[in-house]
This record gives sequence, structure tokens and C-alpha cells, in this order.
Amino acid sequence: MEQRSSWLAALTAALFGAVLVYAATATLDPYVLSIVAFVGINIILAVSLNITNGFTGLFSLGHPAFMTVGAYVTAILTLLPARKTRLLPDLPAAISHMQWPFLPALIAGGLVATLVAVIVGFPVLRLRGHYLAVATLGLIFIIQGLATNLDGYTRGALGLNGLPELTNLWWVYGWVLVTLYVCWTLKHSSLGRTMLAIRENELAAACLGVKITRTRIVSFALGAFFAGVAGGLWAHLVTLVTPTSFTFLLAFQLVVMVVLGGSGSITGAALAAAVLTIATEALHPVEEAVGLYGLSQMLLAVAVLMVLIFRPKGLFGMAEPDLLGWIGKLHGRQPTRSGSKCHREV
Amino acid sequence: MKSMLSRVMTVAAVIGLLAAAPHARAADPIKIVALYNLSAGGLASIDGPSLNGAKLMAKQINDAGGLLGGRMIELTAIDTKNDQKEAATGAKRAVSMEGVVAGIGHSDTTFALASAPLFQAQGIPFVTSGATSPDLPDMVGSEMFLACFADDVQAHAMAEYAYNTLGVKNIVMWTDNAMDYTKGLSKYFQDRFTQLGGKVLLNDVYMTEDKDFSALVSRLKANPDAQALFASSGPDTAGIIIKQVREAGIKLPILGGDGYDTDLISTVPGPDLSDNVFFTTHAYVGLDTGTANAFREAYQKAYGNPPENAFAALGYDAMGLVADAIKRAGSTDPAAITKALNETSDYPAVTGKIAFKNGSRIPSKPVAIMYDDHGKVNLKTTVTPGG
Amino acid sequence: MSSAYILEQIANGIILGSMYALIAIGFSMIYGIVRLINFAHGDIVTIGAFAMLASVVALNAPFALSVVIVLIVGAGVGMLIERIAFRPMRGAPQVTGFIASLAVAIVIENLGIMTLTAQPRNFIVPAWLSTFIPLGPLQVRAIDLTIVVMAIILMAALALFVRFTKIGMAMRATAENYNVARLMGINIDRMIMLAFANGSALAAAAGLMWGSKYSQISPLMGLIPGLKAFVAAVIGGVGSISGAMLGGYVLGLAEVLFVGLLPPEYSGYRNVFVFATLIVILLVMPNGLLGRSTEERA
Repeated sequence: MEQRSSWLAALTAALFGAVLVYAATATLDPYVLSIVAFVGINIILAVSLNITNGFTGLFSLGHPAFMTVGAYVTAILTLLPARKTRLLPDLPAAISHMQWPFLPALIAGGLVATLVAVIVGFPVLRLRGHYLAVATLGLIFIIQGLATNLDGYTRGALGLNGLPELTNLWWVYGWVLVTLYVCWTLKHSSLGRTMLAIRENELAAACLGVKITRTRIVSFALGAFFAGVAGGLWAHLVTLVTPTSFTFLLAFQLVVMVVLGGSGSITGAALAAAVLTIATEALHPVEEAVGLYGLSQMLLAVAVLMVLIFRPKGLFGMAEPDLLGWIGKLHGRQPTRSGSKCHREV
Repeated sequence: MKSMLSRVMTVAAVIGLLAAAPHARAADPIKIVALYNLSAGGLASIDGPSLNGAKLMAKQINDAGGLLGGRMIELTAIDTKNDQKEAATGAKRAVSMEGVVAGIGHSDTTFALASAPLFQAQGIPFVTSGATSPDLPDMVGSEMFLACFADDVQAHAMAEYAYNTLGVKNIVMWTDNAMDYTKGLSKYFQDRFTQLGGKVLLNDVYMTEDKDFSALVSRLKANPDAQALFASSGPDTAGIIIKQVREAGIKLPILGGDGYDTDLISTVPGPDLSDNVFFTTHAYVGLDTGTANAFREAYQKAYGNPPENAFAALGYDAMGLVADAIKRAGSTDPAAITKALNETSDYPAVTGKIAFKNGSRIPSKPVAIMYDDHGKVNLKTTVTPGG
Repeated sequence: MSSAYILEQIANGIILGSMYALIAIGFSMIYGIVRLINFAHGDIVTIGAFAMLASVVALNAPFALSVVIVLIVGAGVGMLIERIAFRPMRGAPQVTGFIASLAVAIVIENLGIMTLTAQPRNFIVPAWLSTFIPLGPLQVRAIDLTIVVMAIILMAALALFVRFTKIGMAMRATAENYNVARLMGINIDRMIMLAFANGSALAAAAGLMWGSKYSQISPLMGLIPGLKAFVAAVIGGVGSISGAMLGGYVLGLAEVLFVGLLPPEYSGYRNVFVFATLIVILLVMPNGLLGRSTEERA
């Protein structure tokens, strides 16, 4: 019964969001619009990282590597063939002559990132905890090194510039919805519960017949797909992608978003992403006024520390707060007890 | 979905922040934005002085009464934190500011490529003080101007000097593969050097973060015919390279580009080891003309130390070029400024006369060849390379 | 490739490895006791380098005294970090501590940038350190020899301390089993402080060596060495001090030899090799070279 009300709530929310996006595109200036777009991209990143780190408990720092892969693939596909042949001489002729529209290019970027994740995942995901963290960190450097040195394919250090500015708020919004939908469905599916089980107690899960390695790879790959797409969106917003566009500092920032929001909570990750992105941007004028460059980073770091000391589980822990229960109420249905199944306090 | 709420909060927060931010004042001041990497990364040592130079010029103009009948220049500095996203969003913020008429900044092509297109899209001119890729105007568009010479010019100058004057016929090259600036420099150097008849014995590579050159040094030693080393490097690694090469006992002349224009090449190796180094830079340090001297003294007075490198002068010149264009245009309309910039034929910059001839937006300026003699860097000669 | 060339590369690898080993030991010590990765460790390296510069320039202290000052400063900063950032995190999940230390690292780095600017600075070493000393077919500089010797002395001192003194044993006990150690009456807080102090002192010493070798320091210089030392610690087995030492040398040698022995076109892949080595080692030995398996039994 409450399925329908939650569907209705979700639809209403999505429509309302669409209205907001329309209003924003019509009224806000390009700078603010781009910040909102980055908020959206960070939401995609944080929520998808939540699958890997939050649900499954894998300590992955590899998101920037997948972003790089996705961004380059998307960019190469959307470039004009004439530019491709001029800039990337080593590219096979078949690819040089193609030019893809945005959506297929993004999906291709995501898929290639997924492929990399699966290939790398088999060996790397056997590691645990900090070992996995370092290995995924290493992935960032390896991909950066490859992108810089294989300049026949990637144009090396200069990267690909002058990319068509295809990303706008609608694209970002669309992908945010897709990401949220996928993660939401995942969390409440049996695969999702498997992931959570692995995170809670791997040994017990294995005893219950859970295929550990396979699930870990799936979760890694899923996170990588969205990271790749986000990378493609990013590249076509900044109109530039270089090997150093996505650094390990970004990896840490994303982990911060996931942890602050509560590992395992989709809402938390999304909110944390939004708040942190806006806060960083908002502090820039302050920094400039005082002339102390680096102040904004520092203040944020201190804020993060405070949150961690006083609320170590993050904003929401693993729960998804029932923020939209009031929409159900408006439709005359009581939020039944099972409607608050989201409040799994851990 | 829960995202809706976060979306509401997002938009509300952003709108709230905008409302709280002080409104830009209308018309009176002339707003110019400077984008530099001030707080992080290997470019801070040249971006910082560049901004100082620009601020000095703005102050001098304002003290003398401003432009266009008393309007003061308001220079806003945006820190791009050695991050491309920041460069892009900073540029977006810059062009969104009410009344911005021009932008200056950046000493590296990658960052210029991140920021300048945003100015281009709005029809606002962007003058880079230190990004030296000769392809920049083509890659960005009609609003892109360089206040400095381009890498092909300086590399050709060094190649000609090495071959003709120093008599170097065989050379070993080291290139920083992580920076497009260094890769371009090496490429242009090699082109002209081999064209003149020289031979490149070995092309070795490294990455900007590398501190250990022992393998490259050993390979250099294994090439006894080499008469010089061309080490294409940015400011942060130049001193380290010189130190390690000299420590290994190699006395060959070391050649470099304007990335060597930093006092680190003298201080890091120390006066004993910092020797026999030639590098090209923006012709200013030795020019004992009125403008160069006056600039040096003014900089010393304003900041307590002499200009750290030629990039301080470049920042000064970029700002001055924009101001000069505004004066000639007689207005602060960005399109008029761009037109005036294109017509620049004789701006007496501290780093050499700036003229944009034949529709090019890169000035043809003389290249200074500096010589480092036991830690003391002096102008050796000025070269204007053949076309 | 002559044997002298290869020997030279091995020597360089050992020197680099010594520095990585010192930093890696700190990582491992801290991890061994509190099971938390300290990302601010790399910044302690930076602080050590600047402390050395300050003591030589501002205080005009002789070399030996400066080294002692650096060790003390390092230990102090380490204990401060423990008190501020790690003690409140005790008991929290691993990731939380990781982020806390990252936050501390960011604060330190930005403080450095705000006060000292991101400009690299020249590092001053006494002249006698730059002399050449012939060693068989090699020519090493005094500074390089000093680095290796100092590293060995410090590591030996630490090993003796941990092995043979009562406090050292108490530290090992705490690392082995936190709760039982408490039951035995060991002052856990003191042990943890000690681990931080020791590890950080070594990191600061590594900073001074790094500055002496490359003669250039900047507020962000510790980032990459810290990261690589983390890799070294993981290679050797996080939590094991001897593992960290081994990991440091393995990493230093691997890094130098890869670039030295492969054709020049591959020199740009230095970092790729470093991390590929890491992944390969971890695949073959999932707990690192000397790490002990920490399987959780149900």
C-alpha cells in the first residue's frame, strides 16, 4: 500500500525538482548555474561512491581514476573528427571518424570505466581495509601516468580543450535522478542487502552463501559507471580535461562527503555533497577579501573535524530519513509503520 | 525522492548567498579581474609576483588619477588554486561580475585554457601575462591576447644561440612530460636546432614531481659527445636539475627556457654549483632603460624586495596593456577594448615593446638570454630569432 | 650499462629508501597501536624540514643541535596531533580516523601556505656535507652517506628501544592487544602518545634529510613522499616496524631502478611503476611482505 504513496512522493519530488531546474536555468547567471551543476555532479559522485564505500564497506579511493577514464572517453567521442585526427594521431581510424552525440558518449564513458573497474577489481578487491585504499589510490596515479604519457591517444599533459559545452543543468539533473533511482532500488533490493551484509560481517555472509568476490566487484563496477558518467559531465562543463583534472585530493573530498553524510545513507551523501560544494564556493569571496588564500580549505577541514568529533556516524548513519512522508500524508494515507522501514538505526 | 529537498536547499542557499553578497557598484570603477594560482602548486612562485606586478600598475594608474577622466581601476584577484575546475569556475564568476571589462592572468597554458574560453564566450578580452603557447589565440579565440612572447620564439632563440654562438652541435634533451609548456619548448627547440644542423643525441623525460634525476644524469654521462644539456623545466625543478647535474661533476652548459627565471636556480644549487647555465626569458632584467629601472624601484618600494623574476614585470605589463587599450578605445566597452588591443602597435612595456602585427595576438618581442655565473645571473645578450 | 652505473642506481635507491623507511616506520607504528592511518604524517616531514631551516637560519645552531631540535619538534607536533585529532576518534570506524587525519593535514598545509606562501625555498646545509667521498667504484656525497647512516642509527635505536626496554615492551603489548594491555595496568594514553612521538620524530628527521638532499623545500613538499611512504608501509605490512623498513627500501630501490634500467621513454612512468609494484606485491602477499594476517574470527 505504501509502495504507491512512496512512488507518488518520488514522482512529485522529481517534478518539483524539474520545475526548480527550469526556474534556475531561466533566472540564475552562468556562474551560479555552473556551481549548481557541480553540486549535481558531486551528488552523483558521492551517492555512487556510497555504493562502494557505504553499502559494501570497501574503502575505495579510486573514483577519480574512473572519472578520468569516463571523461576522456566521452571527450574523445564527442570531438569533431577533424580535431581528432589532428590532435590524436595514434587513435585508430575507426574511432577518429566517429562523432557521437552526448548521451551515447556519456554511457560509453561510463561503460569503459566499468570495464576498467572489473579488470582491476579482480585482483585488487581481494585486499581489505587500508590495503584496498592504497591500491585504489595507486589506480589514480596509474591512470594519470598513462594519460600523460600516451599522448598519441590522449594529447598528454595538455589534455583535450575546447570541448563543446554540452553539459547543462538538465543533463546533470537527469543523471542525478538516474543515480538516485539506481541506488535507492539497489539499497532496497536483495543485492543491496547482500552488500550490506558483506559490510557488516563478511565471514557470516560467506557462511550464508553470499558470493563475496562477485558482489564486491559488482558494487565497485557500479560505482565506477557513475563516476565515469560524472567525469564526462564534468569535462563538458569545464570544456577541458587533462590527466590532472581529477586528483587524489578529490578522492578524499568524496570520501568526506560519504562519511559526513553517513556511510550507507543516500540522502546523507547527497546532502553532504551539496552542502560541501556550496560551502567551498561560498567561502571564496571571504578568502579573497582577507587575502589569505587557503583559508576556505582550512575552515572546511576544521568544520569536518568538528563534525567527526561530535557526530562520528555522520549526519544520518545508515538511515534514510523520511523527509517525504508528509507528501504521503497529504494524499490521505497514513504513513504506516512499515512506511517507516527506512529508519533502520544502526 | 529525497533529492528534492536537497535541491530546494541548494537553490535556496545559493540564492540566499547571492542576496547577502554585496552588490557590485554600478559604472564608476573600471573592473578588471586577475586569475592566478596563488595558494598551491608549482606556479605559485611566478603567479604571486605576476599579481603583485599587476596590482602595482593598477595602483600607479589610480594614484595618477585613473583612466578616462578619473575612473579608478578595481582589480579583483581570484585564486585558482592550481586546479582546473577552480580556474573554470573562477573565470565564470569573474565574467558574471557586473561591469567586468577585461581579464588578465595565468602563467601556464593549461590554466589559460581553462579560464580564457569563458571570457571568450562573453566577448571580454583576456590578456595572459605568462602563458606562452603559440597556439593559445587559435585554441581560445579572438579575445585571447598574450603579453609575453610565445614558446616557439624563445625556443628558437635559444637554439640559434646555442648553435651559432656557443657552437653546440650535439645536445642531450630532458623534457618534463607533465607540462605542456615544457613539451612545447622542447619540440620547438629541437625543430630549430636540427634545422640548423645540430644533432639531438638523447631525448630523456621526467615528470614535474620527480626530484630524483640520478638515472637521467647517468644516461647523460653515458653520452660523451654531448656538448650541452637542454633541460626543459618549470620553475620548481630547474634548481634541482642544475644541482644534481653539477653534483655529478658534469660541467656542460645547461640550457633552459623562461621557467628558469627564478632565484631558485641560484639558491638551490648554491653559488659553487650554479654555474654555466643559459636560459631565455622575457627581456627585462638587463634593460637599464627608464621603464625597467623605474619598475624595479617601484616594486621594491611597494613589496620590500626586488621583483622575484620576469613574471612580476609581465603582470605589470599585462595590466598596463589593458589600461593602454582602454585609454585608446576611450571607453570600457569590452568590444572596444578588444579592438584597441588588436591595434596595439607600440606599447612600451617593461618587458619589451608590445605590438600585435598582422592580426597576430602574440607580440613579437626580443628574447633575453641570461647567463648564470656562479649564482650571479646577468643578461648575456638579446636575440630576436629568425622567422 | 656498466656495473658502475648499476651500482650507482642501487646506491640512489638505498638513499631514497632510507628516507621512505623512516617515514614508513612512523605510519606503521601509529597504525599498529591505534589502527588509524595518519595522513598528516607527510606534513610532519615538511615541518621537520622547515624546523631545520629555521634552526639553522634563525637560531644559527650547529648541525648536530639542529638535528636534535628537529627530532623534538617532530615529536611535539606528533603528540599535538594525537591529542587534537586522534584521541577524540578512538573507537570510531577506521574511515573516520582517516578523514580526521586528512583534515589535520589540510589545516597544516594551508597554515603553511598562508604564513610561508607556496613558494619553494632554498634549504641550507653546512658545506662539509657537500663533499664527495669515494666509495669503491662510486662517488657518494657526504650528505647521502649521512642520510643512510643516520637512518640506520635511528632505526636501530628504535628497534632496540622497542625490543629491550620496558616501555618498548609495553608499546608492543598495546599494539598486540589493546584491551589486555590495559588490564595489565599499562597506561594506554601514554603508549599512544609515545608511538606518535617516536613516529613523528622519525618523520621530521626524514624531512630534514629530504631538504638536505634536494635543497629545496616548500609547504607542500611532504605530500608525495608521505603518500609513497604509506605505500611502502603497506608493502611491508602495515603495523610491522621491520616491515616498514623493508617496504621503504623496496620502494626506493624499485622506483630508482625502474627509471634507471628501462629506456628513457619510460622515465615518465615512474609513479605508475611505484603503484604497480604495490599492487603486484599485495596480490602475491595480501598482508604485505612482513604483515601478519589479521583475520577476524567469528
